[in-house]
Amino acid sequence: MNGNDPSFAREATDAVRGRLGSLTPAAWALLVISLAVLAFAFAVRPGLFVDNAIGGLVYGMILVMIALGLSLILGLMGVVNFAHGALFMLGAYFAYQVVGAMGLSFWAALVVAPVAVGAVGLAMEVTVLRRIYDQDPIIGLLATFGLTLMVQEAVRAVWGAAPLGFDVPRALQGGTDLGVTTVGTFRIFTVLVATVAVVAVYLLISRTDFGLTVRAGVQDDEMTEFLGVDLPLRFTAMFCLGAAIAGLGGVLRAAESGLGTGMGQTFVILAFVVVVVGGVGSLFGSVVSGILIGEATFMTPVVLTALSAATGVAAFDVSGIQGLVPYLVMITVLLVRPRGLFGEEGLME
Amino acid sequence: MSALSRYRVPVGLLVLVVALRPVVAHQWLLGFGQIATSMLIWMLFVAAFNLLFGFTGLLSFGHAMFFGFGMYGVAIAVARLDLPFVVGAVVGVAFAAAFGNLLGRLIVEKGEIYFAMLTLAVGEAVYFVVNRNPLGLTGGSNGISQNALPPWVETFRGQKSVVLPFAEVEWYWVVAVVFLLCMLALWQLLRSPFGRSLVAVRENEGLARAMGMNVDRYKIASFTASGALASIAGVLLEINTQGASIETFGVLTSGDAVLMAVLGGVNYFFGPVAGVFVWQFTAEYLSSFRMLNLPTTELALVSVDVSGVLQHWRFLLGALFVAVVLLSPKDGVWGALRDGVRVAAARFREVRR
Repeated sequence: MNGNDPSFAREATDAVRGRLGSLTPAAWALLVISLAVLAFAFAVRPGLFVDNAIGGLVYGMILVMIALGLSLILGLMGVVNFAHGALFMLGAYFAYQVVGAMGLSFWAALVVAPVAVGAVGLAMEVTVLRRIYDQDPIIGLLATFGLTLMVQEAVRAVWGAAPLGFDVPRALQGGTDLGVTTVGTFRIFTVLVATVAVVAVYLLISRTDFGLTVRAGVQDDEMTEFLGVDLPLRFTAMFCLGAAIAGLGGVLRAAESGLGTGMGQTFVILAFVVVVVGGVGSLFGSVVSGILIGEATFMTPVVLTALSAATGVAAFDVSGIQGLVPYLVMITVLLVRPRGLFGEEGLME
Repeated sequence: MSALSRYRVPVGLLVLVVALRPVVAHQWLLGFGQIATSMLIWMLFVAAFNLLFGFTGLLSFGHAMFFGFGMYGVAIAVARLDLPFVVGAVVGVAFAAAFGNLLGRLIVEKGEIYFAMLTLAVGEAVYFVVNRNPLGLTGGSNGISQNALPPWVETFRGQKSVVLPFAEVEWYWVVAVVFLLCMLALWQLLRSPFGRSLVAVRENEGLARAMGMNVDRYKIASFTASGALASIAGVLLEINTQGASIETFGVLTSGDAVLMAVLGGVNYFFGPVAGVFVWQFTAEYLSSFRMLNLPTTELALVSVDVSGVLQHWRFLLGALFVAVVLLSPKDGVWGALRDGVRVAAARFREVRR
């Protein structure tokens, strides 16, 4: 797992420039065509277009918040954390407990739930994950799968299997006028919170001494420990951080769309897709591909509807295509570029 | 004695098939035998899964799709298209094999973690397509439950039987025969040069490649065979549950296969069998358990209502699973049993001397 320096900005600009420079004519054509189709869809129904663009962004940011923790843990410790979806779900249920059951403010939940999820993550790391860092990655996948099962059943035992929901504070209800359409204020709030979280993680890893020692530990753990760095402590802290971000994502998602016992499983699979598309080991790739997949999921129906209305061919308007879009994107990316958009060659293979 | 040890797998399978139902139905255990049929079907499914995981080293997290292909193949043919059962079964199995082969070609070279995630995602995509009810064939989230039985299966008070030209056979024995045939085929496959090569791929892929084996080809072949076998189990399940349900395609079904295989012990032929037995038996036993009477049922001094705790048996089995993965991920229950028997036999020999 060497050489996956998880830094964004500098590397990001280089990566984008390199990527654009190395595009084949076919890829250019594809890019131009998709931009043209998007512009066309915008011209047909600008309100719906912007609505779905924001919806895709919100969805994408939730995906990024899960995929970020997944990617961190995978990159640092080489463990595929299947339980990350369960942590996301726990965030949602803790928020429900604070807001819906105990009647406290949503702002309290926004702080308490991620901290509580971080504590659950801490317990998981200390009891189970710490034992499997040196082993076959499959062992990690299996063990965390067992943990997922336990968390899911525990949630079912405490809160029941029925779908739940809770209200957000008045300040975040209602809509904000954006000219062509009105967007729910909470959606904008979600994007803001998610952006702050992502930037904070980036700063932590790239600009602090803590982040420096963690990166050093990934490069050469033995040498780093010789230099007096307590690596197990740092790995535990990173795991907690990843869990807390997933929990925060769960709070935001639950406030907008409600919660159910299946949400963790659905989202962890999508987060895997995001990590694979973005490239294993690249945090920047996870962010880009999360937003890309969110947007693709929401924009594809809009574009198809516009095309079918304009050309009169009903076959374009495939209803329910959006659930399939992430997988189609993933299969395409893997066929064209197996290591993912920003991944390094040979990692985890 | 040597013949017995040489053929201990066929003999063991025969004993299993004959003894499973009476043992499960014993009043000290469950008291009813219907679950034995679905146990056999699941054993076949998990054994097929384990051909890929235990003997080739590829973890598939989407194996439920093959199970579902067999199931929906029969259900669509019988209930929707009025085709004979055999056509549906053959098409379902062939589709599963072809799908496994193509998917294998696409993803088998990507490394084990990628393989697990990709099968998971493809399985989810298949679930999605089936749930959309394409062409009105799959019935969406309702599945297929009307007229889904072939005409030669009769149901009387919940007991199924198969009407043959010369006799009427209990459904359990039909499942048992198919189970035996498939498991024997699997056994032959595993002890053939092909099966040994699969183990070589699992143990040391680099070495296998260095010896001139086309590793990817073996993996694809294993994925294909595993998918086909799993879909045969799906065909049986369709008749057993009198239709096809969308849950079969779900990620939980795939997950259960992984859980049962690891619990049983992935390195052994009988591992999946043991895993399915332990899992399903525990599930049934715990969820039918209401009152814990101590010290005995007849002479209860203390009665504890444990149904509230035990209906969440998945939590307990999840904890057991985590423990198995941490302690000995390859051996499981069957491995522990073997070790126990070996130690006991050694001690017995010592005592006799």
